[in-house]
Amino acid sequence: MLLQVNGVTHTYRETSLFRRRVAKAPVLSNVSLTIEEGKCVGLLGTSGAGKSTLGKVILGLQAPQQGQVLFQGEDLYQASAHTRKRLRRDLQVVFQDCYSSVNPRMTAEQIIGEPLENYERLSVGEQKRRIGDLLEMVGLTPADMRKYPYQFSGGQLQRINIARAIALKPKLIVLDESVSSLDMVNQTLILDLFRELQSAFGLSYLFITHDIKAAYSISDALAVMEKGKMVEMCHDKNGIFTSEHPAVKSLVSSILPEHPRQRVLLSR
Amino acid sequence: MNGQQSKVLQISGLNVKVKGKHGTLALLQDIDLDLKRGQVLGLVGESGSGKTVTCHSIMQLFDPHQIMVEGSIRLHDRELNGLPEQEMRRIRGKEIALIMQNPISAFTPVYTIGVQFVETIRTHSDLTKKEAHELAVTSLASVNLPEPDKLMKQYPFQLSGGMLQRVMIAISMCLRPSVVIADEPTTALDVVNQLQVLRQLDRLRTECGTSILLISHDLGVISELADEVAIMQQGRIVEKADVFQLFDQPQHAYTKKLLNTRPTIPMNNQ
Repeated sequence: MLLQVNGVTHTYRETSLFRRRVAKAPVLSNVSLTIEEGKCVGLLGTSGAGKSTLGKVILGLQAPQQGQVLFQGEDLYQASAHTRKRLRRDLQVVFQDCYSSVNPRMTAEQIIGEPLENYERLSVGEQKRRIGDLLEMVGLTPADMRKYPYQFSGGQLQRINIARAIALKPKLIVLDESVSSLDMVNQTLILDLFRELQSAFGLSYLFITHDIKAAYSISDALAVMEKGKMVEMCHDKNGIFTSEHPAVKSLVSSILPEHPRQRVLLSR
Repeated sequence: MNGQQSKVLQISGLNVKVKGKHGTLALLQDIDLDLKRGQVLGLVGESGSGKTVTCHSIMQLFDPHQIMVEGSIRLHDRELNGLPEQEMRRIRGKEIALIMQNPISAFTPVYTIGVQFVETIRTHSDLTKKEAHELAVTSLASVNLPEPDKLMKQYPFQLSGGMLQRVMIAISMCLRPSVVIADEPTTALDVVNQLQVLRQLDRLRTECGTSILLISHDLGVISELADEVAIMQQGRIVEKADVFQLFDQPQHAYTKKLLNTRPTIPMNNQ
């Protein structure tokens, strides 16, 4: 088991203007999730369901108040700093907003080079070659190395983000709405790229999205969250269509048709 | 579906060019679009294909010193292109309403929903403040928003994206415009909210007979709501057809590519 999330509960603490503690409903309550090696799990839910918070908890960015996160058998929040650094290497992320996840004053080379500098001591020439290879892997050319983020389109910049995520050959990548802001052509291309990389490196993904079609097309298993709770876990992704839970049903019935003959709105 | 098939909006030979340091660059070339009463026209294309430029030129939102809009845009036999700014301000919101992709940036954050709603109504009608307030509350209720009275006193940042988008639809509905331009109205929303918003748009056209120019890159949205579809690529319309015909027999290679590459899901499992 690559990743095991056991009974995670988390509440964002909030203080009001006059420093009074404000009680809030938990963002995550008793959430458990497992991801096996080489598999992709799609995490679905409406906005505000707690999907992204769970993603942060898994990445080690947000310590939960209760519960544990086991990555490769080791507790992410109990481990020593040294172990954590080693674990973090295998844990990468690609966010939705590609422009705000890169430093606008760094070139593509610097952006992709950063994880390499943190973990691997490569010579200047060696690093350049690695970055060139990574760019080719994600469908760009080594000549793009000198460009700044504003010189790329959204789809291209998302590829830079992916190149940075796969630079250290991680085991798990959290994809937090990674394709939601792209148009349909780029969406398809990036989904294809994810699939290719998965078979090439045996990657696992946690694919966080509200787009059931995209999640269905890439995932092996689907999980559905509602109001901080995990309400459905379908190890076979087709199980989502037969689920009885109202939250899942409302998600499935909101899928837009692929052909005008299958329109959902009943008003005509 | 409507007996009256009169053309509400007629765009012909629309060319948009931007002046740059090294000559001019064409953003749109030879765009021809017709919008009939109560019809939903879908405009599809990838980012940068000119969908938003088209709707901004209909609304005359470009600075004529920088961007040249050539061609004819007729609303009920009235030429909009080149209309003085003052006249155009009377048309925007009243005759043509624009629903933008990002509802949060469409409202000013420093005034409540109510103030902005009432201001829009009173700019375009002779209603008193009280009447305008009542109209606002009823139209908020009509888009299924809970507690409209409370909502009127809230600020835009207190609402979720889906709620704010429905407020925007409520504002555009209450003035009963002849044309609504919906520029990616659901892209920022989750699937459940997306269906809600589409349902409101559908009501708008059936109840008020409004014509809708629906801009989207999501073919699901298009197949749900559109009657006719125009596919755009690099500033040109490459194919225009009835929605059924387009999905059944796509003619242009680009249309075929769009239809074949999208992620699919077995719908018959439901």
